[in-house]
Amino acid sequence: MTLSSFGAPFLPEIVLLAAVLLIFLLDVLKVRRIELTGGIAVAATLFALGLIVADLGFAPLAFLSSIPSSQIDQLPAVGAAPLYAFTSLGLVFQAIFLLAAFFVCLASTSRPSDERGSPIFYGLLLLATIGMLLVAIASDLIFLLLAIEVTSIASYLLVAYTRKDVRGLEAAMKFFVIGALSTVLSFFGASLLFGAYGTTNLYLIREAGAAVGYPILVLLGYGFLIAGLAFKVTLVPFHAWAVDVYDGAPDDVSAFLAGGTKKIGVFAFFLVFLGPVLVVGTVGQSGYGLFGGSVALGPSFQIALGAIAVLTMTVGNVLALLQKEMKRMLAYSSISQAGYMLIGIAIGSAPALGGATLQVFAHVLMKTGAFLVVGAVAALGVGPLIEDWRGLGLRRPLLGTSFALMLLSLAGVPLTIGFVSKFVLFSAAVQAQGWFIWLAVAGLLNSALSVFYYARVLKVMFFDAPPVPSSPATTGVMGAAGPPVLPVGGLGYGRAATIAVIAAIIVAFGIYPQPVLGAIQAAAYHFVTVGA
Amino acid sequence: MTELALTGFLGLSAGLFGIGIFGILTRRNFILLLISIEIAMNAAILNFVYFAAFPSGTSGLSGQSIAVVLIGFAATEVAVGLAIVLALNRLKGTINVARANDLKL
Repeated sequence: MTLSSFGAPFLPEIVLLAAVLLIFLLDVLKVRRIELTGGIAVAATLFALGLIVADLGFAPLAFLSSIPSSQIDQLPAVGAAPLYAFTSLGLVFQAIFLLAAFFVCLASTSRPSDERGSPIFYGLLLLATIGMLLVAIASDLIFLLLAIEVTSIASYLLVAYTRKDVRGLEAAMKFFVIGALSTVLSFFGASLLFGAYGTTNLYLIREAGAAVGYPILVLLGYGFLIAGLAFKVTLVPFHAWAVDVYDGAPDDVSAFLAGGTKKIGVFAFFLVFLGPVLVVGTVGQSGYGLFGGSVALGPSFQIALGAIAVLTMTVGNVLALLQKEMKRMLAYSSISQAGYMLIGIAIGSAPALGGATLQVFAHVLMKTGAFLVVGAVAALGVGPLIEDWRGLGLRRPLLGTSFALMLLSLAGVPLTIGFVSKFVLFSAAVQAQGWFIWLAVAGLLNSALSVFYYARVLKVMFFDAPPVPSSPATTGVMGAAGPPVLPVGGLGYGRAATIAVIAAIIVAFGIYPQPVLGAIQAAAYHFVTVGA
Repeated sequence: MTELALTGFLGLSAGLFGIGIFGILTRRNFILLLISIEIAMNAAILNFVYFAAFPSGTSGLSGQSIAVVLIGFAATEVAVGLAIVLALNRLKGTINVARANDLKL
């Protein structure tokens, strides 16, 4: 085995790791200009994104392809226990994760250039991204959980990276306690599954699954594992931490947490309950289903996941309706969006999986963008309440229009990518027949409900009069009479460009979704039928 | 070893796990909270060791090696937790989780 044949498949991770080491080295040498560290991070994420997109078969970038196509979507030899496996759906998720990291890195280059924490911010962000990339190629339960922890541990610190901000530190502490609890639950579940199956390899677990059946050990193991992962995805009984953490974290970090790291749990659900791991070989018989749909327990797990999905959507939306603060409203809307993704997992067919993946992609764009807008608006000196945004859309037309597009997409209005993803997901639910149709109905009702609170924000932004200039929170920036607090431009080029690009992508793929939709549907099909 | 012995071992780790989770949910002192997390984590680690010792599959040494990896992982997690709480202590002068209430619930 040559060095290149060993190292090449991990080139994106290696590039990111090199960037992390470089950033920390420069930090030690007291080179902390945000233009430099941010530039390194942006370049590394963009290059890694190029590598992944090339591996997905994007022809113009074929020269960057680092994984032999013979290694993608292949089942391992019988009895082999590989720690990692390249699936095209995993690569799609890697691309989505890198996109989120890239947007956050690019936007945060607009922070003050003498900020001391910038090497820590970028280094930890890239470390978290490495963990996310590893999640997407895991094929072993312990590898998967440890990769999740790489991301989690980096993100606890990311929330507190300023070290001087009490709210950030408290958010980090809550995040740590909840994160540690979820870690313990998932590892305990994994240990019970190890006892039942005699292995932690997901392929071997699938092979042993039918013979072992569902003794109490397996039920408890999967129960603890679902609970642990549910914390990461913010599913409803385990969602309360997310609002405080997204609220207390610095805005750019919230964008990364809500837009990026949360999605690793979704892919972990895919890996553990679907995909080559558990469905292969039986998918032809039933067409869909957890555990191949052939074991008696499959449907009851599906019903449990479906119930959690409906609960998550409803609770998230209802609580979002009641919020007065923009960040908390977005946090609750993020929780409800996780419910939509879970619909796809509960159904488990290839189209539903594609819909859930598209929903993840759309949510990365919408939520990263929305939190970045919140950061931008806060930098303009506007308060955290939704009321404080009065008239912002008229004062800052481009920013307001971009945010409006993101909210419309979150609500699922046609001609945005949010509509496409919900349409694909709900039509998959209808196709799956049976009680799954009710999941689509619940999803539609929830989308209608969510329109209320997004429309309220739009009304405030575009139809309410701007606040009076004498108000202390808004003096100077919004008021025409006050002195200019911020330099001309205000947002900074990186942030403005990121927000504009995200808004453009949301509309572009909303009107013409075929390229992304095709790639994702093909990947999802391979994921549930590989080798079959 | 017998089934009976395994049941006893599992009872031990279930007890440790219960104590740990109870501690995580009730303790308000951050250091005690970290200890509770460790206790619950050790229950999972012990499970890996027991199950590797019982011939329930072709696990080989994987259970023991997973246990060693997890011990290392638990140490990193505690280090990060302590770093956060030290920074918070410097600002607020308390390590009591219940006093960390600047964020509204």
